[in-house]
Amino acid sequence: MKIIISFLLACIMVLTCATQAIAFCGFYVGGADAKLFNKASQVVIAHNGDKTILTMANDFQGAVKDFAMVVPVPVAIKKEQVHIGKKSTIDKLDTFSQPRLVEYFDPDPCAPPMERMMSTAPMPTAQPATAARKSAGDLGVTVEDRFKVNEYEIVILSAKESNGLEKWLRQNGYNIPTGANQLLNPYIKQKLKFFVAKIDIKEFNQAGYKTLRPLQIAYQSPKFMLPIRLGMINSRGEQDLVVYILSPKGRAELTNYRTVKIPSGIEIPTYIKSEFGSFYKAAFQKIYEREQKKVAFLEYAWDTGNCDPCSSEPPTPAELKEAGVFWLDNTDNSSGNIQPNFGRTRPQSNTFITRLHVRYTRDKFPEDLMFQETGNQENFQGRYVMKHPFTGEIACDAGKKYQQTLRPRLEQEASNLANLTGWSIRDINRKIKYPTTSPKLDPNTPFWQNIWPNK
Amino acid sequence: MFRDPRDYQIGFLATFLGLGILTRDWSIKPELIIASIGTCCLTQLLLTSLSQPDQNPLPALKSALITSLGLALLLRADRIGTMILAGVLAIASKFIFTTDQKHWFNPANFGIITALLLTPDAWISPGQWGDDWWYLLLFIGMGGIVLRRVGRWDTSVAFFVTYALLEIGRNTWLGWTLDVSIHKLMSGSLLLFTLFMITDPRSIPNDRSARILWSITIAGLAFILRNYFYINEAIFLALFTLSPLTILLDKLRLAPQFNWHHSKEII
Repeated sequence: MKIIISFLLACIMVLTCATQAIAFCGFYVGGADAKLFNKASQVVIAHNGDKTILTMANDFQGAVKDFAMVVPVPVAIKKEQVHIGKKSTIDKLDTFSQPRLVEYFDPDPCAPPMERMMSTAPMPTAQPATAARKSAGDLGVTVEDRFKVNEYEIVILSAKESNGLEKWLRQNGYNIPTGANQLLNPYIKQKLKFFVAKIDIKEFNQAGYKTLRPLQIAYQSPKFMLPIRLGMINSRGEQDLVVYILSPKGRAELTNYRTVKIPSGIEIPTYIKSEFGSFYKAAFQKIYEREQKKVAFLEYAWDTGNCDPCSSEPPTPAELKEAGVFWLDNTDNSSGNIQPNFGRTRPQSNTFITRLHVRYTRDKFPEDLMFQETGNQENFQGRYVMKHPFTGEIACDAGKKYQQTLRPRLEQEASNLANLTGWSIRDINRKIKYPTTSPKLDPNTPFWQNIWPNK
Repeated sequence: MFRDPRDYQIGFLATFLGLGILTRDWSIKPELIIASIGTCCLTQLLLTSLSQPDQNPLPALKSALITSLGLALLLRADRIGTMILAGVLAIASKFIFTTDQKHWFNPANFGIITALLLTPDAWISPGQWGDDWWYLLLFIGMGGIVLRRVGRWDTSVAFFVTYALLEIGRNTWLGWTLDVSIHKLMSGSLLLFTLFMITDPRSIPNDRSARILWSITIAGLAFILRNYFYINEAIFLALFTLSPLTILLDKLRLAPQFNWHHSKEII
């Protein structure tokens, strides 16, 4: 049976003394009085059948020596199953899949039809949304393994009960927040192991790293989930998580929450170009509230071999492999020879990317996130369109008609923007350059054509 | 009007489908709905006229329509051919796997499982129903009416109570709070399955105690498949696996057989 069972992994982040950091599934631990809150986190899950490679971006802002992380994993992880990835790979996936602004330029309405046709051919350029998301023994604990991978010191633990695990972690310098004990229990009872990592500061400094590099873990398990509950311990507010799921099969979705597409393909005023980040933030907040804060949002679903329009070049096979894609060499040649062509043709890469954006809180997301990959190959992207009005000299009838339709169009764009973001229509209108000069009218034009242009 | 309980079922399933299209952004594609309905009805007409040439094939179309609406609601596919395959197999199963006018499998369930098994692009979307109370009430209210008309509410209750107790029991043991269990149980596809799929009198045991035992067994297997083998389609697979037991249970307990037009006598 083609059972769509999948994967999992769970994780807790235990970070010390951070002011702001990652934590999709994590909680922070700091000094006794540190009040730490999590911001957006990014996770890449390369998944095929029951095999998973998970990449966690450690966007940790505190002192590196204080960083530590506890990740429940479905099976014991050996040294060879841990790898240090590149932050640039996650950034690449982010840029490739982010909601985008597309711009078109109105053609000269007075140009001959042929020329007009040529210039109406879409000339999309994509504007990335930059600001939207920066986005043992007596204790019943067994140290299954202990090893070092570059600057990371890793311990694999299994536990019989959460009190023992909590004590072990505390005794070994991991400052678990109060309440963690209770949430560790379900994972212990499901016989998960705990992947505990911290930084060898000496090696980190010697290598001259500025920030933490992403940790990658490979494992084989039918569980396909992310344990967000743990990350809610030290963050009372809303937390943003962006999950990039890479699969040879098709789109991924959540099985225990609704997955909703973000609004897309909507025309918005051109001034948004300079504030697209804040636009998308506001639009996301609006739809998040409209969906009662309890769904996951699909921001992108596409074959990684192409894009249209592209906000960056599609990831190369090498970049996909860095992101954990492990099936490329086992397939036909096409997968190894992606020839990105910026949307003009549609090369296939045998890797489908799904970007899910989850903003979760304890009351709306009681359960960990469970995923499934589906055979759904339908493309989707969060795309917003702006059309620049023609600004040249207009002195023909067609131009006159164009100008008459321009104002309603701009008003519609303003209304779209207000609906998407909840911003005040008055503020929006203030920023839009509505046409003020009336077109040069032919003195012989009947007066009614001012309002009935087609008569 | 609505003398035949199947009319109710058709009405309700069509309403759900309409609501799904209007109010949710499911990956329900109109062409797949048309494919499902068209395929099921055509297959039914063809196979009825082949197997019972002297019988009017039209009344059986109602059952085919119910099956096709069930498929359109629960099964997702990337290609239209997959839905057609599911429709053909669903209806064909009624003609192939049948004993004493009882079906070994629920046809829609048969179509779903075989499509999942045989094609790479079929899937079900258990999360897409969300957990809105409004929908829950709508499901239960409408389903309840249907069940009273058909008279097989006991399978629904036995299945759901068993499944719910097992889930709540496990989650409590694990240490999760009750809201985790409630969230798990408030799945639209679980309710749809409970109310419409395991209540089909043509594929469930005739005798009440046999039916209850049968439902409890399905709930137990679904629970195991979901929680220990991490199979998202656990409920559908559990029904598929255990459904043929109906024939055996009927043979063991010779209760009167169901007839759509005499359902009131049975109640």
